[in-house]
Order: sequence, then C-alpha cells, then structure tokens
Amino acid sequence: MTLLKREEWQGIVRDVDWTFGYVDDDAVYPDWQSGTGKIPREAWSKWEESYKVSYPDYVATQREKESSAYAVKAALQRSRTFETLDEGWKSATKMHFGGVSLVEYAGLLGELKMARFGLSPAWRNMAVFGALDEMRHAQITLFFGHEFVAKDPQYDWSQKAFHTNDWASISLRTLFDGMVIGPDVVDLAIQLPMTFETGFTNLQFVALSSDALEAGDINFANMISSIQTDEARHAQQGGPTLELLVEHDPVRAQWTIDKYFWFSARAFAALTGPVMDYYTPVEHRRQSYREFMEEWIIDQFVRTLQDYGLRRPWYWDEFMQGLDTWHHSLHLGFWNYRPTIWWKPAGGVDAESREWLREKYPDWDKFYLDKWTVIAENINAGNIEATLPETLPWLCSMCHLPNINPVYGRDGKWKTRNYPLKHNGTTYYFCTKGCRQIWWEDRDAVNHATVVDRFLAGEIQPMDLPGVLGWMGLTPEVMGDDAHGYAWAKSFADPRATGSGLLVGAR
Amino acid sequence: MTDTHANDAAPSAPRKPRLRTWSAFGDIRKRPSEYEIVTHGTNWTLREGRKSPLEGNPSSPGNLWISTYRDRSPLQAEDWHGFRDPDSHTYRSYVMLQDEQETRVNGLLEQYAAAGADAALSPRWRRTLSQAYTPVRYLLHGSQQVEAYLGYIAPSSYITNAAALSAADLLRRVTQISYRTRELQLTDPDQGFATGERRVWEESAAWQPARKAIELALIAYDWGEAFTALNLVLLPTLDDVLLRQFGELARDNGDELTWLLTAYLRKDAERRARWSGALARYALAQRPENAEVLGKWVRKWSPRADAAADGLSTLLETLPEHGREAASVAAEAREARVSFLGDLGLGTAVSAG
Repeated sequence: MTLLKREEWQGIVRDVDWTFGYVDDDAVYPDWQSGTGKIPREAWSKWEESYKVSYPDYVATQREKESSAYAVKAALQRSRTFETLDEGWKSATKMHFGGVSLVEYAGLLGELKMARFGLSPAWRNMAVFGALDEMRHAQITLFFGHEFVAKDPQYDWSQKAFHTNDWASISLRTLFDGMVIGPDVVDLAIQLPMTFETGFTNLQFVALSSDALEAGDINFANMISSIQTDEARHAQQGGPTLELLVEHDPVRAQWTIDKYFWFSARAFAALTGPVMDYYTPVEHRRQSYREFMEEWIIDQFVRTLQDYGLRRPWYWDEFMQGLDTWHHSLHLGFWNYRPTIWWKPAGGVDAESREWLREKYPDWDKFYLDKWTVIAENINAGNIEATLPETLPWLCSMCHLPNINPVYGRDGKWKTRNYPLKHNGTTYYFCTKGCRQIWWEDRDAVNHATVVDRFLAGEIQPMDLPGVLGWMGLTPEVMGDDAHGYAWAKSFADPRATGSGLLVGAR
Repeated sequence: MTDTHANDAAPSAPRKPRLRTWSAFGDIRKRPSEYEIVTHGTNWTLREGRKSPLEGNPSSPGNLWISTYRDRSPLQAEDWHGFRDPDSHTYRSYVMLQDEQETRVNGLLEQYAAAGADAALSPRWRRTLSQAYTPVRYLLHGSQQVEAYLGYIAPSSYITNAAALSAADLLRRVTQISYRTRELQLTDPDQGFATGERRVWEESAAWQPARKAIELALIAYDWGEAFTALNLVLLPTLDDVLLRQFGELARDNGDELTWLLTAYLRKDAERRARWSGALARYALAQRPENAEVLGKWVRKWSPRADAAADGLSTLLETLPEHGREAASVAAEAREARVSFLGDLGLGTAVSAG
C-alpha cells in the first residue's frame, strides 16, 4: 500500500477560508494590504495556481537541491578557480552579490505579506513556499559571497550594499520597496511574480549562468542555476492574480504591468547590461544584452500581454530604442563614477570589444566612441584624474539612475536630455519620458529626494566628493576602479584610432 | 590585489586589517556561524540612519504601516539584531530536518494504512476525530497567517526567519491533517470528513472561543502583540490541548497513529516555543520596561486562550469512549502556558490575569 496521491487530498489543504464571526472581514484584509479594489471578494475563490506543490514534496526536492549546490561549492573550494578568474567577471559577481542577495530577502518579506493578506487560501499557502524559496535565495547568495570576503573586501558589500546610501543602492531600494515590500498584495503579485520574476529573472539567472560557465566560474553558475530552478514555482502566483485583475479592473492591470515592466527594464539595464556587454570577457559572451532581451524577455512579455488581453505599453517605442542606449550609458556612468561603486567595472572597450559592440549595436560608435576616445586619450596621457568624477551625476527623480540617455535629435545630432517637469514650484528631472510619466501619475507615493536633492538640501556633509563618498558608505579599499588597470585604453593609442581633439589638460 | 587608484601617490592611510567576515558584525573575535552569516542584517528596511522604512514618500501606506506597527511598537529594544534562534536554523538545515521528519511520518502513514487502522477505529472515535481533530485546520491556517505576518513586520531578520519557518511548520501541520482527513473520509464517508469541518468550526459552541481568539489575533497588527498573542499565549495553551492531550486521548482510545503523528508535530511546536521563549527573554534583558509591555498583552490574551481551551476541553470529555475530564484538560493547558511564561520571567504577569 502506498500513500495517497497529492491530488486526492490537496484540495483540503486549501479549503481553509471561513466567514469571520468576531471581526470584520475588512479588518483582517484591509484594502491597504489586500488590495482587492474592484475585484469582488467572492471572485477570489477562483484563484488557482497551475503547478501544485505540497509540503512533503517541497522539503524533499529542496533538500536535494541544497545538498547538491553546497556539495559543488565544497568541491570547488579546494580549486584555485577564483584566482584565475578575470577581474571584469569577478566584478560581475560582486555586482550580483551586492545587488541581489538582499533583494531576495525583500522577496521573502513580500511573500510573507502575500501569505498573510492574500485573499485566497491557495495563494496564501503558495506564498509560504515562496517565502521559503526567497529565504533560500538570500541565504545561498550571501553564503557564496561571504566566501570571498577575506580575499577581496568588495565582497563585503554582498551584505552591506543595501544598508548604505550608495546611489545604486538607493535606486534599487526605491524599485524593490515599491515593487515588493510596500504595496498591497494584488499589486505585489502583478509586480513581483508576474512582471519581474516571470518576465525578467531569466535575464539575470539564465544569461549570467551561461556567461559564468564561459568565464570558468562554475561555482557561480552552479549557484544561480540552482536558484533559477525555484522561480517557476513561486512566480506562478502572478498569473491567477492577473486573470482576476484583468477581468475586474483591466485599467489597473495594464498600468501596474506597464509601470513595473518599465522599472524592471531600467534596473536590468543597470544590473545585467554592463555585465553582459562589457564585464564578461568578449570571447566568453554568448549573446549581447539586446539579443538576450529580444529573445528571452520581449517576445515572452508581448505574448503574455496578448494572452491576458492587454495592450503594449504606451512607451513601447521609447523602450525599444533604449535597448541600444540605456545600458551602454549606464555602463559609462558606472565606469566614470567608479569610486562610488563596490565593484571594479571593466572598461570593456578595447579594439576587439569595440568591434563586437559595433557588430551588435550598429549605432554604438555614433554616440559612445567619442566619449571613450576622450577618456582613453586622458589615460594614455597619464591623466587619470581627468577621467574621475568631480560632481554628482544628475539622477532621475523616478528610477534614481543617472539622466544620461542619448536621443537622436531632429537636427541629426545625439543629445542627452533630462526631461524636466515642474510641480508645486519644484522642477524635477527624469532620465526618460517613461519615468516622467510614471512619476506624474504616482506622484503622491513616489515623491522622493534623489542623492542630488539631498546634497543640495545640505543633508550630505561636507559638501564635496569625499563627503559624498563617506555618506554613501564607501571606504577607500572598496571604491571601484578599472578592472584591468586601464589596459584597454592602449588600443586607442593606435594611430588608426581617431583623436578626439578634446584632451583635457594633460599634466 | 592590484590597486590602481589614481590618488595612490598621496600618503595612504594605514590599511584596514583583512576582513574575515561581514563588516556588519563589527569587531568580533569569534568567527560567526553559517547561521549568522546568512541571517544577519538582511532586511534593509531596518538599516541604521533610515528616514523611513521604505524609500518613497514617508507617508505612503506601506511606510505608515511599518512605522506604526513595527518601529513605534511599545515593545522596544536597543538592538533586536542581537537576538538568536537557539536552534540556529537556516533554510538548508530546516529543509534537511523536515524532510527527515516527513520521511518518518510517511513511513507511519503507509504502515497504518496498510494495516487498515482507520477501519479498525471505533465509529465513536472517528466521530471524535471529525469534531475535534480535522476541524483544527482552520485554526492552524489562521495561525499560519499570523505567523507569516509576524515574519513580515518583525524588527530583525533573525526574528523574521524564525517566524517564516514556523509559518511553514503550520502549513506542514495543516497538510498532514488534510491528508488524514481524506484517509478518514475514504474509510468513513458519512462522518462529514473533508466536508463538514467548516460548519463545525463556524458553528459548534466548543470551537467558538478558539475561533474568536484567532480572529482577534489576525487583527493584532502591532508586531509585539501579534508575537505575544500567538506564540506566547494562544499556541502554547492550545498546543497542549490539541497536540499533547489529544494525542494521549487518541492513544487511550486505540488510535496509535494520531498519537504518534501528534508526537512528531510537537517537535515543531517545541521549536517554536524555544525561539519565542528566547525572544521574550531577550526583550526582557534588553529593557526592563518590556516586562510590563509583554505582561499587559499576556493579561489581555490569556483569558482568550483559557476560554478557547475550555471550549475544546468539553469535546475531549464528551466525545470519546474514554474521555478526559474537561476541567482538568483546561487546567493542564493553562498550567502549560503558565509554566512556559513563568520560566521566561513573565510569571507575575500571568498570575495577575
């Protein structure tokens, strides 16, 4: 005799809703947190996930995954792989450890919130597994990052990054506070499992895992591919929630998805774009960021929208154009502001890399070549100073990333615009029309000072670059610098390379 | 490590000693455990120097909720991040532990099913199970929600993780009861297994005080009160009735399987009691005024827990062939809680209730 099949009894595990007799339903499920809005309370009984899981199955599967992930790590610990990894690639991992581990933990908080305030018991149960998954991801990422702390203090930021006022941390906190920790659970389910996890995590996990293998970092590939195997399970909380929302409040569904697809695209342009197109050594790249976005993200996103009867977002053209610029500009920004980040950005623009970039991005030369040429000329002239920042970058009041997106003007010239908006006597600046539009619609909730605003308000003292770096929590041994000691710049000294004529006062 | 910093030419400050672990641990001699490395300071909404928990408008609903129910709770400590789960559970150790437990439970379930144990139970005992055992999944699901909420709103990731694992334990318990519910239904389709529990839970007089207690706990939004209500008062009282005493009752009535299953589940309850007790002790050690804060909540919730135990005790007396005296069931449950709280130094608070 064997055990009963899961299908025979699982219905009972989720048959746990009852009518409250001693408290109001609204008090247990306040709209602030449960967010049902126009979805009638009784409609939630239809919520059903497609891929069922039970507690005993869960712990059995997960125990195996954990054992194998940590066994691979233990085996590799004796190897000298880490010492042989390229600095640019190591920076990809530092960025990931710092930028992702505590985001996974935010995911845990969001899942717990859904486990409490979700309006369907099936959903609440699923969210408990989601919470466990996210705890796993936070812990495995921290544990793997911790291994390298003694070798390189930048890995300390695996745990530290989100506790600081670093501008990259503020930008990511803003994103995930709004996406995961703060919102009601209906918005949360559309934003996190639906838009972010279903839509985007492939980008960081699949793309990066393949780049990691190419770069010889089996340990890292092992970690993130093991994490990725959990995503399908808890990401499915988005689908049934979206179905209900589309049925009863399609405007809210469309708006919530549009907004968080946009924010996610901005964040991944920062997190993944530079890694794929610059930090991973050129010979190890499988696909460009743009190719990966098109194949893995955009097609699927458009299909999902169609499946649910939703439209393409209003910003579609701007978003698609951004695939050729956002992450290149952010890379330039990170590199230029390298003392303000916890990794060492690879320049990634030596002659061979530039060839690759031109092939993948036919417009790359038009906007980026002259910038890198000036930088290289200064480096080659021994004037590193001129390539370091002296002031703060203009940051977008919405996504808190730098306002450095070039657009092709009617006059045939590339220019960087900062999309101003005047509101209550203050002028706000944005990186894109998309960010400006979202800020305007959500202005009461998102109105939030950028690092520049805080600086100008005198919150950061002393009011100079060292003061800013201190305020951001950066210590000298952590501040980033070029991953390869500026070796790439030599390729610009080649007589065939065009001089810019813009050399800044060589010393 | 190569250092190509531009201003290296300037006389540099003495290098910091090499890090051995997260700088967040400060100057510590002992290398932190794996548990600490993966648990410490992982909730950024608790970071030092924050202006509000979440970025964005400080008066946004999300910010107001967290500030009100977490940051301005009457239960305060200098530093909640010093609290440690005595079992030091990480995700990894948790799934290993529970997979082992579930494997054993599955072995039991298989054996007893093969022996046709449910059919051998007396109809009267099966009726007892349908009234006093299978309806408990509603109470446990409500508890699971409160425990999950505690994880969301707790002022330290050390507390959040312990609560999240306890929420998972409660889901485990609901799962096991659901499995048994279906088995019993297959054996005895007329007893209302899987179909009648909601009515019992919503209408039976014996369950109403328990239902009232958990409904009220669901709206206890202050983190400290949610913790006190559920983990210090309600569950320690009701687990004594529903796990220990009901398990013994099952054994007395020839239901070995229920006796053994409840014994396994008690390990989860004991683990929750261990970390909850440690947290209460920690709160008292951090700030003497917390004795009054916790005491006030203990006094508020104890009568609700006692009423719930009273209600259930009547079922244990009247339903089975070999019953237990209701008054002693309730008294033992109360005593279990009083002794748990007494060990924590919350004894006086209890006697005042």
